[in-house]
Amino acid sequence: MPGASIRGRLLMSLLPLFIAAEIATGVVSYRYVLRESHQLFDYHLQQMALSLRDQGAVMTPPVPNEEREQFDFVVQIWNADGSKVYLSQTRSRARLPDRATLGFADVVTDGERWRVFSTLARGRVIQVGQPYQVRERIAAAAAMRSLTPLLVLAPLVAIAIWWLVGRSLAPVERVASDLRRRDERRLDPVSDERLPAEIEPMVRSLNGLLGRLQQAFAAQRAFVADAAHELRTPITALKLQAGLLGRARDDAQRADALAQLHAGIDRSAHLVDQLLTLARNEPQAQTSQAANVLPSAQVDLARLARDAAAELQTIAEARGTTITVDAPQTLALRGDANALLSLVCNLLDNAIRHGAGGRRIAVSVAFADAGGIARLIVDDDGPGIAAEERERVFDRFYGRATGDDAGSGLGLAIVRAVAERHGGTVELDESPLGGLRATVDLPVLSQS
Amino acid sequence: MRVLLTEDDRMIGHAVQTALRQDGCVVDWVRDAESADAALLSGSFDLLLLDLGLPGRDGISLLRELRARRDATPVLVITARDAVEDRIAGLDAGADDYLVKPFDLDELAARMRALLRRSAGHGTAYLEHRGVRLDPGTREVTRHGKPVSLSPREYAVLEALLLRPGVVLSRAQLEDRLYGWSESVESNAVEVYIHGLRRKLGHDMIQNVRGVGYFVPREATAPDEA
Repeated sequence: MPGASIRGRLLMSLLPLFIAAEIATGVVSYRYVLRESHQLFDYHLQQMALSLRDQGAVMTPPVPNEEREQFDFVVQIWNADGSKVYLSQTRSRARLPDRATLGFADVVTDGERWRVFSTLARGRVIQVGQPYQVRERIAAAAAMRSLTPLLVLAPLVAIAIWWLVGRSLAPVERVASDLRRRDERRLDPVSDERLPAEIEPMVRSLNGLLGRLQQAFAAQRAFVADAAHELRTPITALKLQAGLLGRARDDAQRADALAQLHAGIDRSAHLVDQLLTLARNEPQAQTSQAANVLPSAQVDLARLARDAAAELQTIAEARGTTITVDAPQTLALRGDANALLSLVCNLLDNAIRHGAGGRRIAVSVAFADAGGIARLIVDDDGPGIAAEERERVFDRFYGRATGDDAGSGLGLAIVRAVAERHGGTVELDESPLGGLRATVDLPVLSQS
Repeated sequence: MRVLLTEDDRMIGHAVQTALRQDGCVVDWVRDAESADAALLSGSFDLLLLDLGLPGRDGISLLRELRARRDATPVLVITARDAVEDRIAGLDAGADDYLVKPFDLDELAARMRALLRRSAGHGTAYLEHRGVRLDPGTREVTRHGKPVSLSPREYAVLEALLLRPGVVLSRAQLEDRLYGWSESVESNAVEVYIHGLRRKLGHDMIQNVRGVGYFVPREATAPDEA
């Protein structure tokens, strides 16, 4: 379920904040103006009262009628005997209470609150009053004035948020539509141009993933293409050998063609076996089956080495080569027995085939690194491999590329894949016997 | 017919060589471009069978070099690369025909014959001269409609001569058509085969230029030019 939209969330959280800010502004300016007007108007009341006291005589201020209507102050003067001397005319005809507290006082008459200043002078009480309502009106007006720009701004801010969010997220929509238009073959990175900084890490990670996928796909494709290409050669041979068998004119030709056909079938079967072994041990095959975990069976590497040597002894002897094995009684580690047997066999096979003219192959199995590593070494006394070529011989079908059609071209690729799957390494070096030395180091995992 | 086979795969090479030998061809087999180059420089071949996917130097570059030095030996390219652009590249580099692996022995033989016909300027599938007709497809030779039985080597000599009427072929050139590298040449073998052919096909069929070689005289109206 998708989360709420950023736009909606921003609007929903910013607008109440905005309204709260407006209310706070209104309240603050109202109270501030009210306090200011209190001081100001109190001062006026006082000044007016004092000025009336000092005039001595009773005067009616010459106030024009229309202005009088707006005159909020009420002035009331009476003698010490309580007789009223003067009462200003106001629109409200309000009357101030006759009882006076000297100085400032808040009074309520006829349900209206007044602010009154009273002073005593020459036996007369001078009272000047003003309804609170006036002050509140002024404060409210001031508060409203301060709110106006905010009220006008609010919809503008909302529109701005809407637009800005839309604009900032447009590149996200671009990325999305870019991704929508893709299929499994288009895995090039998505453009992170003009992306918001917050989205960029996501797109960068996505591009990283795309890159890794692309590599894995390319590796798979290359593997399939290589395999198909390499299968063509033995299949061509089979077809030709079958053709020869078909056109054989006598028993000798037939027997020869049949023998060739058998050899061709054996070679094809061997290539398919090798391809399968490699596919099972290549990293991408592992992850796709979520079975990167090795079978944690106990494997005796010493026994595997002896088994492999026994298996290949016949082929080696046919070429005049002897295989010797130097291994302890047992050397246990955890791993995939089939894969490890295939590793040893391929190393031996390689030594037999490429140690052309060599007469000795020495296999040794031993612990190294204080028992943390099981080390398998295969030495031969053949021509070896030039240092600059030692890395490339691990490439699939590299042997085929150099015209060696005896092997599948996959042997060393399998050796490396199996070793790496077991967390180990393979290195090629010069052998003390004069040929090639292959060293495979496999970590001996503690019981887990 | 003398063929240079350039194929790095032991089994394919062996099978092709065996089949072509059964067909009476002389097949020399090399396994890389360098050896093929050396062979082409030292001897003459009626046809080059070239696998493009060779170790080291590839077939295309060999082909280019061959054409660059104006060697017109017909080339039939064999390759596992079957993409259209690969075929175009092969043909543009100077191949005369193209065969994709896996291929059939009979198709290979048929294409080789067709190539040979084309390179000799023949439009027909058979060679005919003075009532003698040679069919490379069936390896049958007839004289005035009656079959003539020839040994494979007599056939090879006749084929070589009929491919280029009027052109004198030396004894060495004819021996080239008869023997591969590994075979030893009997000293007067060519004379023996010529003698046999004359006996079976008529004495004036093959003429002799003393000290130079043999040829079939060009006719005023050769059937293939009619």
